[in-house]
Amino acid sequence: MQQYDLIIIGGGITGCAVARELSRYRLRVAVLEAMPEIGAGTTKANGGLVHSGYDPKPGTLKALLNLKGCLMYPMLSRDLGFRFHKTGSMVIGFNEDDLAYLEKLYRQGLENGVPNLELIRGKRIFELEPQTSPDAKYALYSPHTGMVDPFEVAIAFSENAAANGVEFHLSSPVSAIREEDNGFVVTIPEGELHATYLVDAAGVHADDVARLAGADEFNIIARHGDLLVLDKHCGVQNLMTLYPIPSKETKGVVVMNSVSGNTLVGSSAEIKEKDDNASYQEGIQQLIAGAVKLAPNLNPRKIIRTFAGCRAVVENNHNDFYIRPSKKVPNLFYVAGIQSPGVASSPAIAAYVAQMLRGYGVPLEEKEHYVAERKAPVDFSELSPTEKDRLIQKNPAYGKLVCSCECVTEGEIVDAIHRVPGARTIDGIKRRTRAGMGRCQGGFCQHKVLFILARELHCRPEDILMEGKGSQIVFSKLKEGR
Amino acid sequence: MKQLSFDVVVIGGGPAGMAAALSAQEQGAKVAIVERNAQLGGILLQCIHSGFGLKYFKQELTGPEYAQRFIDRLAKTDVQVFLSSAVLNLTPDKKVTLSNENGVFVLDAKAVVLAMGCRERTRGEIKIPGDRCAGVLTAGLAQHYINIDNECPGHRFVILGSGDIGLIMARRLSLEGMKVAGVYEIMPYPNGLYRNIKNCLEDFGIPLHLSTTVTRVIGKRRVTAVEVSRVDEKLHPIPGTEKVIPCDTLLLSVGLIPENELCLKAGVKINPRTNGALVDNDLQTNVPGIFSCGNVLHVHDLADNVTAESERAGASAARFAREGKLPAEWTPITVKCEMPMGYTVPTCIRTRKRAPIFFRVRRPLENYRIKVQSGDDVLLLCKPRDYKPSIMENITLPESILKKAGNEITLTMEPA
Repeated sequence: MQQYDLIIIGGGITGCAVARELSRYRLRVAVLEAMPEIGAGTTKANGGLVHSGYDPKPGTLKALLNLKGCLMYPMLSRDLGFRFHKTGSMVIGFNEDDLAYLEKLYRQGLENGVPNLELIRGKRIFELEPQTSPDAKYALYSPHTGMVDPFEVAIAFSENAAANGVEFHLSSPVSAIREEDNGFVVTIPEGELHATYLVDAAGVHADDVARLAGADEFNIIARHGDLLVLDKHCGVQNLMTLYPIPSKETKGVVVMNSVSGNTLVGSSAEIKEKDDNASYQEGIQQLIAGAVKLAPNLNPRKIIRTFAGCRAVVENNHNDFYIRPSKKVPNLFYVAGIQSPGVASSPAIAAYVAQMLRGYGVPLEEKEHYVAERKAPVDFSELSPTEKDRLIQKNPAYGKLVCSCECVTEGEIVDAIHRVPGARTIDGIKRRTRAGMGRCQGGFCQHKVLFILARELHCRPEDILMEGKGSQIVFSKLKEGR
Repeated sequence: MKQLSFDVVVIGGGPAGMAAALSAQEQGAKVAIVERNAQLGGILLQCIHSGFGLKYFKQELTGPEYAQRFIDRLAKTDVQVFLSSAVLNLTPDKKVTLSNENGVFVLDAKAVVLAMGCRERTRGEIKIPGDRCAGVLTAGLAQHYINIDNECPGHRFVILGSGDIGLIMARRLSLEGMKVAGVYEIMPYPNGLYRNIKNCLEDFGIPLHLSTTVTRVIGKRRVTAVEVSRVDEKLHPIPGTEKVIPCDTLLLSVGLIPENELCLKAGVKINPRTNGALVDNDLQTNVPGIFSCGNVLHVHDLADNVTAESERAGASAARFAREGKLPAEWTPITVKCEMPMGYTVPTCIRTRKRAPIFFRVRRPLENYRIKVQSGDDVLLLCKPRDYKPSIMENITLPESILKKAGNEITLTMEPA
C-alpha cells in the first residue's frame, strides 16, 4: 500500500493550490482527482476573474481570503509563469438607486481593506473604459481586479507541486475511506492508499467525500452558472471588467476580457443538480441581455461557445467558504464551499490551510530544496518571427501548425502531454494549449489532436476521451486492413 | 528566417487557390501557393462523392479527381508550392509570413490572392443548450473521420441542418452502415441543392423534418439523445412540441463562414453580409494588390464556380503584379442590393465593358425578376423565374447598361 503523510482529494484550483503550498514542507503528499485532467470540475467552468474583494461581507473568511489572494496574484503569476492581467474593474450604476448601492459597496470595500477603491461618475467612467454603455452614470472603480485563465493557474500550481514531489493520481475517484492505523485508507481504482491526514477539496462532492470518511457534517448544493465566450472580434475589445449592480446570489452578469483576448460573459446562478454542466437557454438569454446593457457594442452573434458549471455552496454557512477541521473525524480537514471568489482566493486559501494544519499539529518542516518557480510552456503564437524560426530549427514539431484559429503547434501539444501531470484528453489539450478553443471549435484540428494523443500515449484513437470516462470521440476503425 | 520574392502569392491550396495560381502563372507571373495541409486539394480531398466538374469539365468527377486535375496541371508549372505551411501574418504591403518544419519564411509578394476557404458554423454559434458531452460534431469533421481517417465517429446520428455537406454525410453514413434517424431543418425549406435532397435523403429513406430544430443535447459523457422542437414563423421553438430522439451523435450542417482572420491583419474590409472581403469586379479588395476568391470571398454552391471565379482573381493578380496597379479608366459604380437579395459580389464595378454579378436570395422566391436601378431609372428588368437560397445566381451587366449606370446601382428582386 502506498504511504503518504497527507492526501488531498480534489485536483481543482483549490486542491492544487493547497498541494503547491504543502510541497514546501517535508511531507509525502498525493492529490487524487476523479477526472483524467487537473481542473476539470468547477475550475474549468469559470470566467477567470480575480475579484478585488469589496463584495464579500466584512468579517467572513471570503472577505479575508479574497483580498489577500487578489494581492498575491501579480507576484504568483511571475513565479509560476501564468498570465495575470490587472485589468481593473467598474461596477456600473445607471441611476440614483444604483448610486446608493455603490456607496454601500464602497464602504464595504473600505471595511474589507480593499486598496485604491474609487467612486466615480460621468466622464471618468468613459476615460477608463470608452466601451461602457453611454447610459452609465456612476461606477465603483477597483484598479486591482484582474483576469487569469483559471485552468492555467490550476495547472501551474499542479506542475510546481509535482516538481516539488507531490504525486498526482488522475482518473482516481475515491470509492471508500476507512480509518486505520492512525490514519486513513483511501480506495481508488488502482488500489488502496494510506495517509495520516486527509484534505477534502472535492468541490461539489466535498460532502460526499466527508460522508465516505464517516463525517456527515455539511451539505453542498450546486449553484449552476452559464457563461458565454465570444470571438476575439466581437464589437468590443480589451474591455475593462464591467459588473452590474449585483443580485442577491451573484455579482450579476459580468463582461470581461479573458487573458487570451476573448470577451467572456458570465454568469447566471440557478440551483441545479450536482455535475449539471449543461447550458440553459434562459441562462444564455439572461447573459446576452445583461452584457449588452453594460457594453452595447458587444455583438451577440459573435458567440463561439457557451459553457456552464456548478459552484459548491455549503448549506447554512452564510454563503461563506467552509475551511476547518472535521468535528467528527480526527485528521480530516475541509476546504469546501469554495464558490466565487474561489479563483481569486485560492493562493490565500492555500496559505490559510497550511496555517490551520500547523495549528492542528501537523508537522510542517520546510524542505531544503523547494523550487518556488515554474517555467511556463512555450506559447508559439506569442513569439516573434525570429524566435519562432529559432525554435523550429531546434525542434521541427513547432513548425507543424495544428490549430490555425489559435496558432497552436504540434510541439506545444506534445509538450502538454509529457509535462507532469500531463494532458490526457482532447479537452485537456484544449485547456492547456488552446487548440480547439478558437472560432472553429476544433472542426479543423480535433482529429489531428486525437491522433497526436494516441501516438504519444501509445494507445488506439478510440481510447482517447474528450474528457470523462465514456466520452470517446471515435469508436473503432471503420474498415479493417487499411 | 528566409526571405523570398514572388509576383503572386496565393494563400490556400484548395480549388480556389489552385485555379488562381494556375491562371496567374499562365499570365507569366512567378507564383507561390501556401497550403496548411500536407497535400493540395483542400476540402475536395475528403469529398469522395461525385458531382464535381459537370460545369467546368463537362464530366462528373469525385472531389479528389477534380482536385487531381489541378494538382497535375500545377506539377507541370514552376509554381512553388509550400505544403504543411501556415501563414502567420499578412501585411498591407503584401509580406506573407509563413512557418513550416524548415522554419519561418517571409514571402515578399507584388500581389496576394486570398483563397483560404471557409469553416463550418459550430454548436457554440447557434447556441444549442444542453449537456456538453462528446458526440456533437460538424459534418465536415465527421466526413474527415470517415473518409480520410477510417474512424467510426458514431452509430446512430441526428443531423441538424440541411446544408449540402449534411445531406451528403447522411448518404455517406447510410452507406457505411450507420443509422441516420433524421435530418432536421429550422427553416421551412431545405438549404441544400435539390439534387442532394433527392440523391442523399429520398433514395435512402431518410426523413427530412422542416421547421424543426434541436433544442437540447442530452448525455453526460457522450450524446444519448437530442430533443427536437417545431419552430414558429419567427423560428422560435414552440413549447409542447418537444420530442426526444435517441442517438449517439449529433451532426451539424448549419452553415459555412468565410475564414477571414488573415484579412483583418492586412486591413482588408469585410462585407458583413457575406463575411468575405468587399471586392470590385477584378476581385480586388480595398487593399491594392490583395485579391480574394472562392469560399473565403463568399460561400459557393459548386466547386466549378469557385474555379471559374478564382481564375479571374489569379489573372487580375498577375496583371497587378506586372503593371503595379489595375487600370482605373472609369469612376467606380457602387453596387447595392436590397432584400430579398442577400448580397452581391462585387460591390463595386470599375469597368464599363461587362461585369458579372453573383448573388444569392435570402428565401425561396416564386416568379420573381431581377431589377437593376440607378436612382429612379430602371436600367434592367429580367425575365421572371423561381429562385432558391441554396443556389448561387449570377447576372452579367453589359456595356450598354454600365454606361448608363452613373456611380451607383441597386439590385432588387420583385414579384412579376
